[in-house]
Amino acid sequence: MGRKKKKQSKPWCWYCNREFDDEKILIQHQKAKHFKCHICHKKLYTGPGLSIHCMQVHKETIDKVPNSLPNRSNIEIEIYGMEGIPPEDIKEHERQKQGKQIQGGRPGSPSSGEDEPAPKKAKPEGLLGNGPGPGGMMQGMMPPQGPMHHHSMAPMGQFGPSMGHHMMGPMGPPIGPPFMGPGMPMMGPMGNMGGPPQMNMGMNPGSNQPQQNKPLFPSAATAATTTASAPVGADFKPITSTVSTPIGPVKPTFPAYSTTSSSSSQSSTPVTSSSDTSQKVALINTTGASSKIIHPQEDISLEQVRARISKYERQAPVKTVDSSTSTPQPQVEEERRAVMPRYQPRPAMAVAAVPVSVAAIAPPVSSVTIMSPMAGPPIMRHAMHLGPPAAMLGGNMNMMRPPPMGLPPGLIGALPPGAMHHYAAPHMAFPGPPMLTPMMHPRFR
Amino acid sequence: MTESRTEFKLKTPPEDGISSVKFGPNSAQFLLVSSWDSTVRLYDVITNNMRLKYTHDRPVLDVCFQDAVHSYSGGLDNTLKMYDFNSNTETVVGTHDNAIRAVEYSPEVNGILTGSWDATAKLWDPRSPRCVGTYTQPDKVYTMSLCGEKFVVGTAGRKVYVWDLRNMGYVHQRRESSLKYQTRCIRCFPNRQGYVLSSIEGRVAVEYLDTSPDVQKRKYAFKCHRIKENGIENIYPVNAISFHTGYNTFATGGSDGYVNIWDGFNKKRLCQFHRYNASISSLCFSHDGTVLAIACCYMYELETPPENMPEDSVFIRYVTDQETKPKATNN
Repeated sequence: MGRKKKKQSKPWCWYCNREFDDEKILIQHQKAKHFKCHICHKKLYTGPGLSIHCMQVHKETIDKVPNSLPNRSNIEIEIYGMEGIPPEDIKEHERQKQGKQIQGGRPGSPSSGEDEPAPKKAKPEGLLGNGPGPGGMMQGMMPPQGPMHHHSMAPMGQFGPSMGHHMMGPMGPPIGPPFMGPGMPMMGPMGNMGGPPQMNMGMNPGSNQPQQNKPLFPSAATAATTTASAPVGADFKPITSTVSTPIGPVKPTFPAYSTTSSSSSQSSTPVTSSSDTSQKVALINTTGASSKIIHPQEDISLEQVRARISKYERQAPVKTVDSSTSTPQPQVEEERRAVMPRYQPRPAMAVAAVPVSVAAIAPPVSSVTIMSPMAGPPIMRHAMHLGPPAAMLGGNMNMMRPPPMGLPPGLIGALPPGAMHHYAAPHMAFPGPPMLTPMMHPRFR
Repeated sequence: MTESRTEFKLKTPPEDGISSVKFGPNSAQFLLVSSWDSTVRLYDVITNNMRLKYTHDRPVLDVCFQDAVHSYSGGLDNTLKMYDFNSNTETVVGTHDNAIRAVEYSPEVNGILTGSWDATAKLWDPRSPRCVGTYTQPDKVYTMSLCGEKFVVGTAGRKVYVWDLRNMGYVHQRRESSLKYQTRCIRCFPNRQGYVLSSIEGRVAVEYLDTSPDVQKRKYAFKCHRIKENGIENIYPVNAISFHTGYNTFATGGSDGYVNIWDGFNKKRLCQFHRYNASISSLCFSHDGTVLAIACCYMYELETPPENMPEDSVFIRYVTDQETKPKATNN
């Protein structure tokens, strides 16, 4: 009897079916999870409140309560804690709870004490899984149809999900980044980390607190402390080792990426398999046990995939614009052959006081001085025209003024006035701006 | 999709997928858009009209401003074109042996850099204009970004090469992506400390260029752009990254149609915009970080294309400090 009463009085969140010991906590939960504005993170009091806030402040419409179960996402119902829950849902909730209790009563231990640990375990999962990420990861969440009940969930809920994670851990990334270890700060939803305790077993036992405390964005500080306490953090190892050879190949930051793939039978790593094409095309295992990468299987970029579509094949050139200054290509062809680090000196450069036309031309020594932000005297850039700095900010007409060729925006102010017109002459060779003003297209006048 | 004051759609958008959007170096008014319909268009986002358009023979994969009146673009026609807005003239600057995937302008050396599927990057002198250097990359170039004089190239096979524009004689750093899956996009921090790399598997890594262990310790990766549906987690490619130059925060866009803004140093997500009707293919903050251009189109991620092909569109969104500025304290 007493037990039943306790059950009934336990407050729960209508939006996600989670139970709380205290209505205060429930309200805190609702404000943080369901009534928080995704733009400014202001915590509102009700769903309609959030919707009005977003509409008025950010001019955005919100049609769903964030992180809510699909059938409980109605933004228009005003619910605050346990207040405002439709009576039929309360009844349904009670009914399900009791049903579960009866069902689950046998396998579970008879003591009511068992009620406590299960929800506690579920908590971090829910918290983590329910981050404000896109779509809100719901891994480890209670099933939508009813409250998580310890008795019935024990076999399946308590071990089910976590077992899943445990097993999937080594399979690779879709599940979560086991390689990151607890010290690895994660940004964004960590839902897929799954049950942190199980997750960390293999990697870095006994330091899962940071995740629980700061599920969404463990701060850098946390990261630092955890790594300090667990100096063997696998994640940073390769970095330190490569540091000594900065020029050599830098290994992947997260070595577990590669190791997991080899150790897993169902790896979701890009598998290099000789396909029927002459070229070896790597394949991406896009479908994992509980995830799917929305990408073609071939490990080539989306643009390459798209470029193969017949409509993008070479088509008859449709020139709508006359090209008056086409440079003959052969000349360029020759240049292309030269796989070379340095420029050949060009006559044009002699015109300038200092050969910095393109700084890379200059031999390293001098270019270092030139390029270093402090020492680089802007005067040396003979390539620029100094239009009024504000030219481009202004209206259309301004746009047509002789442009500040090659002038880094930051340097405009730094330029000595004397340098302004200095190099106007050299660029006559360049079919560029100086000659343009008279040729201005009518459209721009 | 509700049109609001903070966000609007560009009129006369490209007629096919959008490969790249780029704001000018000093203005939030003009936006270059390259497209699979083989055009490059220049928009005035203040008046919301298209100012001009020029074409390549085949789809254009990237475009950049050299200055307010010159653009450079390249694509499947292997050709780098320079276009002069004033005279409405185009110049073929040169070619690669395969498609040009990325085009960037470096004010530091006043040069144009192109990255191609022919596994090279080239440096072009905009004044002649001609190729002044070819640099072999480990594989097909998928993405590249400039960080002052550092030049970061991401290729197929998850390789990352870091070059130094002051001395292109050797590769400054040879790295492998920290992420397990194909590299999708790399963008450098405006403060030049490092770069952000995204992969096709809904994950983003924050990397530092300084190789000292203390600095390297700060690198990390996080998951994003994933949506759980019916018990299956759909993991989307993170196609686009753009930095807010003032705050060093960055926006990511994924094939899930979401745009998120992150504070990489504090490991916080600052905000998420509403879901767009298609994949986010490209993002670009204006030079002052007040405007974000969002390119939205279907990107052939799916085995079978959707029946109703989503519209190809470019959204211009005026962003607030609230959305882009790192928060001083936790709230």
